[in-house]
Amino acid sequence: MIGWFKRRWSGSPLFSTGAALIVMIILQTLALGFDFSSFGDWLGRWAMNWLNILRNNAGIGIIALGMTFVIISGGIDLAVGSTLVAVGALVMALIDTGPRGVLLNMGITGVPAYAIGIIAGIAAGGALGEATGLLVTKGKLPPFIATLGTMKICRSVTQHFTQGYTPAVPKPFLQIASFKIGGLLIMPVLYWIALAAVFYVISKRTTFGRHVIAVGSNERAARLSGVNVQRVKRMVYMLIGVMAAASAILQVSRIGSMDYANAGSGNEMDAISAVIVGGTSMSGGRGFVLGTVLGTLIIAVMNNLLNLLGVPPFLREAFKGVIVIGAVLLQKREATS
Amino acid sequence: MKLTMRGVTKSFGANKVLRGVDFSLSGGDICALLGENGAGKSTLMNILGGVLQMDAGEVLIDGEPVSFAGPKESLAAGIAFIHQELNLINDLTVYENLFLGRELRTRAGTLDIPRMRAESRRMLEGMRIDLDVNAMVRGLDASYKQIIEIARAMMASASIIIMDEPTSSLTDPEIERVFAMMRTLRGQGVGLVFISHKLREVTRIADRYAVLRDGEMVAQGDTSDADASTLARFMVGHDVRTEALSRDRKASKSVLRAERLTGRSFRDVSFDIQAGEILGVTGLLGDGRSELFLSIFGAGEPYTGNMYLDGKPFRLRDTTEAIDYGIAYLPRNRKENGIIKDMDALENGSIVVWPRISAFGFIDRRRQRELFDERTRGLRIKLTKPTDMITSLSGGNQQKVVLAKWLSSEPRALILDNPTQGVDVGAKEEIYDIILELARQGAAIALLSSEAQEIIRVCGRALVMYHGTVAGEVQGGAMREREIMRLATGAGI
Repeated sequence: MIGWFKRRWSGSPLFSTGAALIVMIILQTLALGFDFSSFGDWLGRWAMNWLNILRNNAGIGIIALGMTFVIISGGIDLAVGSTLVAVGALVMALIDTGPRGVLLNMGITGVPAYAIGIIAGIAAGGALGEATGLLVTKGKLPPFIATLGTMKICRSVTQHFTQGYTPAVPKPFLQIASFKIGGLLIMPVLYWIALAAVFYVISKRTTFGRHVIAVGSNERAARLSGVNVQRVKRMVYMLIGVMAAASAILQVSRIGSMDYANAGSGNEMDAISAVIVGGTSMSGGRGFVLGTVLGTLIIAVMNNLLNLLGVPPFLREAFKGVIVIGAVLLQKREATS
Repeated sequence: MKLTMRGVTKSFGANKVLRGVDFSLSGGDICALLGENGAGKSTLMNILGGVLQMDAGEVLIDGEPVSFAGPKESLAAGIAFIHQELNLINDLTVYENLFLGRELRTRAGTLDIPRMRAESRRMLEGMRIDLDVNAMVRGLDASYKQIIEIARAMMASASIIIMDEPTSSLTDPEIERVFAMMRTLRGQGVGLVFISHKLREVTRIADRYAVLRDGEMVAQGDTSDADASTLARFMVGHDVRTEALSRDRKASKSVLRAERLTGRSFRDVSFDIQAGEILGVTGLLGDGRSELFLSIFGAGEPYTGNMYLDGKPFRLRDTTEAIDYGIAYLPRNRKENGIIKDMDALENGSIVVWPRISAFGFIDRRRQRELFDERTRGLRIKLTKPTDMITSLSGGNQQKVVLAKWLSSEPRALILDNPTQGVDVGAKEEIYDIILELARQGAAIALLSSEAQEIIRVCGRALVMYHGTVAGEVQGGAMREREIMRLATGAGI
């Protein structure tokens, strides 16, 4: 049994991540306790707890998908949180039903307005990502610096133009995230799963997905094999911009408002943590979309566990740090063994 | 100071690199150490510099036997080795580099900057070099960097300095500056070993020469008694009769033609490769051939001049265009430029054709597999399964996979840069067969190689480059190692 376990452990990079997640889930289940009147009651509580975890982490999970490609390509994106806030502000300004609502003042309301809001939001996210991509490729800036810059710019400009402005998000728009299936608030989870599936297929089956790996693994060899390295890099940043936008739309439709100073801040680090815990190499070339999903879940379940155990909130971040460091130490040992 | 090496022997595994080499050097002499690639020059000097340990033999300094366990001991004995890749920190100043690792300190423990500056100034003045000790090294030209390395050796009171190809990246005026410096040191009684391929330079600067061939010292003497052609002959030895594999071909139409290409590393290069022809391009280190063809392929420095494919002018802006034009490129240094270590053999061998075999971005995996299997058979690539990681293959098989990715794109013209680098003898012959077969099928091939033997065997004719220019063209009876070496060392100019 232990031998089999060890063989699998060194065999598949996702196995260790999956094993870690299962351990987390067992601990979390134990922490949840069995002090319920019936098995059905317990199962209900357990499932609801899980649905909460998934729903609360769908936003980060979606951004982490984009971050996986960025990190596989050998880059990093610190601007996702600010992109989220900028897109959120743009979408809300467009669909606002208050006196300053942009589309309302143009006479567009209802579903067409929502469609325009969503498309404009996605386009804006993609455009911001493309700008980062151009800074990295044409401007030859290190991604860390390029996105550090755009991070500051996006949030600051957004905050300036939204001072004292509280848009009213129309009720039907909230249905995007709050539509109930079988009485369950499950839409964000479904979006996450769908996008994860799309990213998985892109990374495994498409020219672009494989080019991302080639560029991250050996940029020079990729270029000498006719890969348009600059285009691949630009696409990667555009994709993560679109993911940040998707996450923004999800947040607007879930909460109906946005705190421009704090929304999305720290998302970049959470997404990077999820990607790293999921086994993707920070130096590029090696990464797993499914690993990122597992990594997001590991961190999420751990948070939930700490919550159940009554660990004070300020201490929880420390555990996150421990998980990230521990995961990378483990992966290093696996790589050398 | 007098240095003597006697009977130095060194093997790497079964490969005998040095077979009882004798070498000596006196203070106040400049001795050129000559030899082809793999003749054993670096090994011999690395033993002297303490980097390698010899298997047998002895090293004497002023008659006293010495042994060096490492570079530090060697330096302590007065022998400094200046490697080809300079060991300077670009972001520090001249004096900081000179005192790197042995900084002077005040009694309080802080850096004694005034004293370091003063001593640096004194040292450079002694070497008659006019250089601001506060200048950043980054801004200096290559000759001054070389000089700083020498000055650093002098500060460690070296009495013997080994310089490995010091002029390979220098322009003519810079070379003059380094030579002037070397003469000054010679006047001060320092012994210099000058490793170089450029025989014209050797005859100008060196007093003595020593020629290594296949691990043996084959000739030593005064440069006043030898000219460049004689030295080239010593380096090559007797011409080995090499069976030429390529047959005479009748003239066909031009496929890849270059007209007066000039870039930073090459000047005024023209050539014309016809369908079914293998054109060799050879030369020694710093000849610019790799840079030239990298530029043609759209991945190198910008150039002026014109390129023609099938008579039509073209200029690649990036490597992606090369696929469409049907130009393939096998890079040198497989590990750095050829293989993508995080992908398997199948993907490494297919990356070039992905755009061609995908619909809506999705790779047709069956077609990918078919093309790869076809190539695997054709190139006799040995694999357990295509999904083996590329790094698990032998060097020869890796190289064939890199070749396979281009062949699947059915190129009109192939540029092969050192295609047999780091592959064993058997695989080498197989790669030659593949190249010849491609030519038979009508491809135009440029074979870049540093091995004259390879060029003679495989190519119908060859350009020999020296310092970025075409020093000459050889074909037919003139395709002999001696003639190639004469042109490559600049002796023919």
